[in-house]
This record gives sequence, structure tokens and C-alpha cells, in this order.
Amino acid sequence: MTTENAPASMYRTTEGLGVWEHKGKVAAVGIGHSPTTRRWDGTAENTMGANSIFALRQAIADAGVDPADIDGLVLDPVTTTGAHWPPGQEIPMDVVNHWNSTDDPLDGIAKLSAEWILKNMPELTNVKFTMYGQGCMSHAIVVAAQAVGEGRTHTCLVLKSWHNLEGRYNQSGVSAQDEVPGSFALAPGRTLWGAPGSYGTALQFAEYCRKYGKSHDMMAPFMANSRRNGLLFPEGYWAQHRPEQLTAEDYLNARWIAKPANLFDNDIPIMVSGAYLFTTAERAKDMKQKPVYILNHASSRGAQRSVLPTLDEVEKETAETGRKIYEGAGITAADLSFENMYDGFALFHQFHIEGLRYRGMQNGDALDFYQKDISIEGPDPVLPSGGNIGSGRSRFWMHTDSIQQIQGRAGARALTGVKPEIGVSGGPMPMGGNFTVWSATPD
Amino acid sequence: MPLPTKKFETARFQSRYEERLTRLAILISFDIDGTLEVGDPPGVLTMELVRKTQEAGILVGSCSDRPISGQRAIWEQHGIAYDFAVSKHQLPDVKERFEAEAYYHIGDREDLDRQYALAAGFEFFWPDEAVSEPWLK
Repeated sequence: MTTENAPASMYRTTEGLGVWEHKGKVAAVGIGHSPTTRRWDGTAENTMGANSIFALRQAIADAGVDPADIDGLVLDPVTTTGAHWPPGQEIPMDVVNHWNSTDDPLDGIAKLSAEWILKNMPELTNVKFTMYGQGCMSHAIVVAAQAVGEGRTHTCLVLKSWHNLEGRYNQSGVSAQDEVPGSFALAPGRTLWGAPGSYGTALQFAEYCRKYGKSHDMMAPFMANSRRNGLLFPEGYWAQHRPEQLTAEDYLNARWIAKPANLFDNDIPIMVSGAYLFTTAERAKDMKQKPVYILNHASSRGAQRSVLPTLDEVEKETAETGRKIYEGAGITAADLSFENMYDGFALFHQFHIEGLRYRGMQNGDALDFYQKDISIEGPDPVLPSGGNIGSGRSRFWMHTDSIQQIQGRAGARALTGVKPEIGVSGGPMPMGGNFTVWSATPD
Repeated sequence: MPLPTKKFETARFQSRYEERLTRLAILISFDIDGTLEVGDPPGVLTMELVRKTQEAGILVGSCSDRPISGQRAIWEQHGIAYDFAVSKHQLPDVKERFEAEAYYHIGDREDLDRQYALAAGFEFFWPDEAVSEPWLK
């Protein structure tokens, strides 16, 4: 079975499409996560592939589904943004051969195919639909949601995995080559010789502060809130390994990576896998967990005129994304109980939520909003998952949290200032990402 | 000449040691991750070495990318009376705050430890060099 990238027709990228034709007919039920680690330890038992299998089995068990009933698998085959396998570095064949390998020995170590998963999960005997949603869990989710809606699969696993290797991020593999193709070196964070990954966001944030009279210091409450929520997320890296609160003093004294983006505005790369089980609303009724219905998915494919998007371009795109999200779900900003938009880099979260007009905010309002009560106990929760800042680079904590909040399974992180009925999550970038509206009810 | 008694020897040593401390105050800044045994990854320098260094009258503290509150927590957890805990780029502030005749930073990274240290006017040791406590020689 050949696995293809999802066709463009599966994404809802423009305004004017009306309410999603499958609104409320697709549901998330099961959730699974692997343990987190900072880096791969070189053992077969702790490869990214092993983590993937662990997370998938957790999701299946969580949903209470017979693996033989699963007929779909959507995943992201790319498992890093900066931990590239160095060309010429020996591949440990004992690790490769520990598993049922594919033609690519790095499959399951530094990349991931649907074929590798199916070869190593013999219990998945009836998977007939596989597809890639490249980039992150946000991407895979909208592909899976659309696939279930269209009837391509009725019980579908959705997977996102991350590997992390020894050494520094973005300083090995293709990032360390003397020559790279095309415009590769121009994008933030891609090579040794280029700028840090957060520099584009930093430039937009600097312009944002200038335009609206704000300051980087005003981010401190958001950062403390995110880490606090992350420490209440037992699946996350900080909660599992270094349960330290991030104080305003810590944040304000951190060194600059790309001023005004400091060390803690950048998320920490980790090893982790996350998986969900999606199904039809009908089938979900008989499963073990409460269904969380998908009201809409929407995608952003913003075009920039130059090397980096300007603040104006970002604000235009996020506002359009907000309108697409609401239009397809048939809701308004007032219907949102909470938001879980992406934050890895912390300095662009405000672009996402201003685009949403969350709690009525307009452009330039978010940093003032952060000075108020944005906790999970308050009426205006911001990023209850804690996001990547709270739990490490997975790009899926916000989705897990959205599902758990609505299922009533968020534990110590449970929202108490609002009843979690409708939430939105997604990302990654303000100029390009994929977003999902989750609901306690199908309509 | 009578041989010095043990008591006399100890007093003479103490006197020399105190004189040395007065004249030659030493400050040592420790990186954490990859340097100290409590780091992630663990380094070769034990907390016992730091405690011994501190008890010898040397000013000790940490300079790390870890949150400052987290650095303090590590020292307190190990009962070490640290003199400072700062972020990586704040070695110049340490030098301004503490008067010493010798400033050392110990770390495991060329870019974030050695270069920062030298730029701030600190001498630098890699962790494996520091194991032998060269500042006591």
C-alpha cells in the first residue's frame, strides 16, 4: 500500500465555503502518548518508532477499540524540524533490525512511514487507508477528520512523532552542509550559517510592540501561566523531568536568542509521540470515552511577499483564519469556551488569538489581556494546555488538552472558570497552519 | 631547632590560608548541564567538589541556561551556600558584584561557556580539567 500526501482538496483553505459538510459527524475518542525524553538514547527500545507504537496502542486501548476494527492511519512522516541525521554517520543496524524494517534504514529512527508502523503493529490487520499530513499533528488531524467525514475510513488512528538526537538542533545533517539547495538557507533556523529559528517571529513581535506600544516584559504572565499549565500536564516533558515553575524573574533574565525573542520564548526539542483515535459520530457512541465532536477544520496558507512575513501580513492572515474557523463551524468567537492555539514560538501566540478575536480582543490587545487572569480557574483561560512552552516541542499538547478538557479528563488542568464545551486548537505558524474546532456536542 | 608540633603546623597553615584568601579571593562559576553531576546531561563535577570548594572560602555560584529559580533550587537542595545564580550572559554582572583576584568559569560548551567566559574576563576550565581543582594549586 503506497501512502500519499493528502490532496489539496481535503483542506479548507478559503473563506466562503460555508459550514463544513461533515460538522459534528467526526469525533475524537482515544488518546495515547509515549513518555517524553530529551534525546534518543541509542537503544532499540526507545526509538521514535517504539514511542509511536506505544502511543498508538495507548490510543486504541483508551478508546476501547478492537485493533482489527481500525481501518485508517494518518501520520506525519517527518519527525523533526532540526535534528537531522548526519550524512555518513553510521546507522546502527542492530537497532534497525530489532524492528521490521522498510527499505529506508532510518525509518522508525529519524523518519516514519505508514509502512513501518503497519509492519510493526501486526494487530492492525484491516488498515486500508493511509495518508500523510506533513508538518505536525495539526496537519494530520485535519486530514484524518476530512477522511473520516468523506468515508475513506471509519476508525482512524492519527499519529505525530518526534525524534531528537545528540547534539544541537539545526546544526547537523543538511543544516551543516556547505551548500544547500534553493532558498533553504534563507528560512529561519535551517542552517548553521543562518539566523535562529525564532528570528522571523522576533522581528514581527518587535514591530508589534512598536506599533501598539507594548513590551517584551509583558509576556511574563503568559509564560508563567503556560509553564504552570504544563506542570499540570503529566504527559509533558517538564512535568516528567524537571518540574520547575518559570517565574517572571527567570523569564526576564534569560539571554536573547534573537532579540526580542529570548531563550524561553523558544520551545525545547524532545522525543515524544502522540496519537488519537478518530471515528464517526455514530461509532463513537459505543466507545469507551466520551466523543469530542469536530465542528470544523480550517487551514491557512498565507503568502508572504519577501523572505519573512511582515506584521501586516501576519495580522491579515490570522484574521482570515479566524473567520474561516468560525464560518465552517457555524459559530462565533463568543461560543469559544477556551483557546489552545500554538505557541512554539511564544511570541506569536498573540497573533493567533487576536486573529480569533478571542474574548473580543482586537489587534494589539493580547499583551494587556495577559496581565489579567488568564488561568484555568478564570473566565478567560489562555492556552490551558500550556502548549510547547509548558511541555516541550510536540505541537500536539494543545489538541490533547482540548480533547481532554471536553471529555472531562484534564485532571488538575481542568478548566473551572468556564465550562469546556467548545475549544479551538491548531497551528503552527500564523502564516500557515491547520486548525480544528472541538465540541462537546455535534451541533 | 625544635620540630614544629602538629598544633603549630596547623596554625601556620591556617594563617597562610587566611592570608591567601585575603589577598587572593577566588570566584568560580559553574555551568550545570553537561558540567555538574546534577545536570542534563550529567557532568563529571560532583556536588561534593563544589561544597569543598565553597568551604575552602572560594566564592561559588552557577551560570546556566536553567531558570535562575531552578539554579537556586539545586544549590539549596544540596545544602550549598552559593554566592550567585545567573543566566549565561550575566557573567559580567557577577564580576561587577564580587571583587576577586581570580575569576573562573567551568562549562562544557565552546560557544555558551568558553566564549562567554573569556569575553567577560574569566579564566575558563572544561569540566574534565576542573576535576583536579586547579584553583587550589
